[in-house]
Amino acid sequence: MTARDAFLNAASSGPSELRTANPHLDWLENEAIEILREVFGSFARPALLCSFGKDSLVVLHLARKAAAPGRMPLPLVHIDTGHNFPEVIAFRERVCAAQGLTLIVGHLETSIARGSIRLGHATESRNRHQTVTLLETIEANRFDALVGGARRDEEKARAKERVFSHRDAFGQWQPRAQRPELWSLYNAHLAPGEHFRVFPISNWTELDVWQYIAREGIELPSIYYHHRRPVVERGGLLVPVTELTPVRSDESAVERDVRFRTVGDISCTCPVASTAANAAEVIHETITATASERGATRMDDRAHDAAMERRKKEGYF
Amino acid sequence: MRPLRLLTCGSVDDGKSTLIGRLLFDSKALLVDQIEALERSRGTRNRDGTIDLSLVTDGLEAEREQGITIDVAHRYFATARRKFIIADAPGHEQFTRNMVTAASRSDVAVLLIDVTKLDFTADELALLPQTKRHAALAHLLGLRHVVVAVNKMDAIGYDATRFRRVVAAFERLATALDIAAFTPVPVSALRGDGVVAHTENTDWYTGPALLPLLESLPLEEAKGDDGTAHLAVQWVTRDTDDEHRRWITGTLSDGAIAVGASIRVFPGGDAATVMALRTARGDASTARPGDAIALLLDRQIDVARGDWLMAEAAPATGSRHANAALAWLDDAPLVIGRRYLARHGTRTLPVRVTGIRAALDLEAGRWSNASTGAVAERNAIVQAELEFAAPLPLAPYTQSVARGAFVLVDPGTHTTAAAGMVA
Repeated sequence: MTARDAFLNAASSGPSELRTANPHLDWLENEAIEILREVFGSFARPALLCSFGKDSLVVLHLARKAAAPGRMPLPLVHIDTGHNFPEVIAFRERVCAAQGLTLIVGHLETSIARGSIRLGHATESRNRHQTVTLLETIEANRFDALVGGARRDEEKARAKERVFSHRDAFGQWQPRAQRPELWSLYNAHLAPGEHFRVFPISNWTELDVWQYIAREGIELPSIYYHHRRPVVERGGLLVPVTELTPVRSDESAVERDVRFRTVGDISCTCPVASTAANAAEVIHETITATASERGATRMDDRAHDAAMERRKKEGYF
Repeated sequence: MRPLRLLTCGSVDDGKSTLIGRLLFDSKALLVDQIEALERSRGTRNRDGTIDLSLVTDGLEAEREQGITIDVAHRYFATARRKFIIADAPGHEQFTRNMVTAASRSDVAVLLIDVTKLDFTADELALLPQTKRHAALAHLLGLRHVVVAVNKMDAIGYDATRFRRVVAAFERLATALDIAAFTPVPVSALRGDGVVAHTENTDWYTGPALLPLLESLPLEEAKGDDGTAHLAVQWVTRDTDDEHRRWITGTLSDGAIAVGASIRVFPGGDAATVMALRTARGDASTARPGDAIALLLDRQIDVARGDWLMAEAAPATGSRHANAALAWLDDAPLVIGRRYLARHGTRTLPVRVTGIRAALDLEAGRWSNASTGAVAERNAIVQAELEFAAPLPLAPYTQSVARGAFVLVDPGTHTTAAAGMVA
């Protein structure tokens, strides 16, 4: 039996079997909680960077476990491009209110008004520009550590990322000057103006994340699951029809059964064809998937095989 | 159950990246668009037109241009039997620090030997210096298993006799280094022989192929578990209810703990009883080593990050002095008598290296007495005497990683200067 067959059997036979099929989830969970408590104990002004996508929601869930039975000690930071899926913003407001979380929103519009972001044209993808607003939000709030949901399996440049990733006073990642990371003895020393990005789920794969969401019953924005949506097929991707990504004159929109695999700027995030209505069904699809997460859904990573490395050096998530 | 954490070590052209690419490719961890991206990038074909699998792991642009691997990269794959985390450490001499780093977070070392680089005309086959260094470091960092992947078997016509000579040479090295157990496997990462399964080319070998071997290696749940529970305090929080009781959090090491257990605080020695326990799953009556826990004591005791809670049976006094192996990682050499910062457990405190007693000759696998005024340059491994600013509950690294491992930080540059292992 291959790994995929094993997981398929587990995924199709309900939550209790799912749990037994993933004995390593407990190990990953303990590791993530230990990393989060390092953040709670080591930094003066830490925050949790949250896109309200599945990975950051898993980190939020882990952070609440790490803090329990005490209060969640970190505020949430959302970098708002202004090009959002309305379902995600509604989810954000509801979750923050229900869990009593402090939310700090950095608006791209503020950076545009200030002149620190200049757009090429009004409807271009704002994904790349988020870096400016993120760094401005870090400076304005004097954050010394930002916890994020990046995983090393997502992309080549991230495979070399530390759990505690040092950023210089310009927010830059310097791959050649990374601090060796030994045992779980993290070196969190900072000079003024510098900060850390901390990635508690570095060692998780997309499948681990979905299995954990299923096991823990973590709620996600509805667009992660099956819905019908008008799309156009463009260059092998399903592009959602929105105000920012209208139908071109030589195309026609079709209504398709879709779900999103990532939540990003609306102008560059594409859904995949799917009828998966819950986490167990997504796991089933993930195991049989033939395209990796970023490749199927992100237009910006297709531009160049080293696109992520270049953005990261500039201070991207 | 833990994932198996795997360190791969070998030199630039030993075929290490190809081997990892092969493991990911053959276990179907690579997806269509990743393979397409490989095909799109420059120079990705082997001479015979097959995809160059080594590019799966050579991630950074700078590395592709120079054709070398500059830092530890992590890869993930799973089979029906086990999940694997690969730490891919560059084998080039000046990057020994990457191997030490990767080894500190690994259970198993997969050591690559490139058979095309060995001189089979000699009476006694000599392994390459880098193989000896890798084996010595794997042993120093306490890895339980060493898997010796004898690679490029295709280039020597899958010669069983030569394979056996390599194994015999490694046996001599293992004896010299006191490595208790190793398992050799003949492979061709390029052709796929011996990786996921043996082919007709390697069917003369009766042991398991690499992947089935890795799937079946036993994994001890807690490395160096001496049975006495210890908890390095990470963070203290308070209940959200009216009582505002103080919960102490950290990751348990070395032994189990239960509600009702008597514990002691270090330093100070105050005694208390565990009133309640929480693990990641919520309220619990017991916790095991490796569990991230929160616990409530029966009385108010001054406990903060950096302190330890320990089972009553543990020694109550710590020590300010230690002999330890130091792997020097920083570009700037060690300065005897200079104040560094040590991180041990969750505590950071000043420390001085007062002297170097011996240096490890990685190629000979032997400690030799250090001369007066000896210094440690980058990539050196030395046996040093240290003086900490306060007593610590130290234990030999071979008994407890939690209490036997520490790092030194340069107080000026904040770089991680050395990895330390208490003797």
